[in-house]
Amino acid sequence: MNTTLSREIEYLPQSRRRLLVAVALAGYPVAVAALAGLKHTSVNRWLILAVFLLLLMPTLVTLAVGYRYARGRIDGRCARLDGRRVRLDERDLALRQQAYALSHRVLTVILIAATAITEIYLTSGNTLQLDANTFWLAAMWVIVYLPALPSLMLAWIETDQPADA
Amino acid sequence: MPDSQHSVHNRLAVLRTERGLSRRQLADKLGINYQTIGYIERGDYNPSLELALTIAELFRLPIEAIFSLKPMTPLSEEIFREPPEATR
Repeated sequence: MNTTLSREIEYLPQSRRRLLVAVALAGYPVAVAALAGLKHTSVNRWLILAVFLLLLMPTLVTLAVGYRYARGRIDGRCARLDGRRVRLDERDLALRQQAYALSHRVLTVILIAATAITEIYLTSGNTLQLDANTFWLAAMWVIVYLPALPSLMLAWIETDQPADA
Repeated sequence: MPDSQHSVHNRLAVLRTERGLSRRQLADKLGINYQTIGYIERGDYNPSLELALTIAELFRLPIEAIFSLKPMTPLSEEIFREPPEATR
């Protein structure tokens, strides 16, 4: 990633970062919902795949931006500032802790909501077919979001960077 | 951040400028990232007691001259303030 783009990501205002996080979180479920909706129609399979990938693209891009924004501060192995390797200072550590705590809360809310919706759906007389495809989509959600959530939450909570002086 | 995080005021920006230090230079002396200085100056981050004491030591000032729970008054106002009656 070139330096100018890296710096632009580093200095993204909080409002824009929050929009990116919202897109990252909503993108995958929207893409999966579109796939599920189109699967039982007569639309060409390749077209469905193209729509799915098109809807998935903003998620992938925003996840990458979120990860770059956290610039190694989440795992703390290669924290970077203006392209230089730096060690995490006390504010970075405090922020990381907050990001992990918020990730836990968000994950808990999502899992409880998903369980509640499924429960309501099942007790309303509907049936749910758990095949390999459904399982894979759920597993993908975990694979994509579980590692990315702390970075996204860090991007969500950090206030705007002070101007360099 | 919790509300209590916003209740500490500081004079870091004034002291840093007075000594002709950039954020980067001050951060290097303190062993922290320069952006943290900006966050402290803006009141978005309250330093740990250890960092606050290190800052006070660096500026050779008592900690209460740099950090306060009450909004800071301008330094000039404090210097030229009339001493209270009892101490005259």
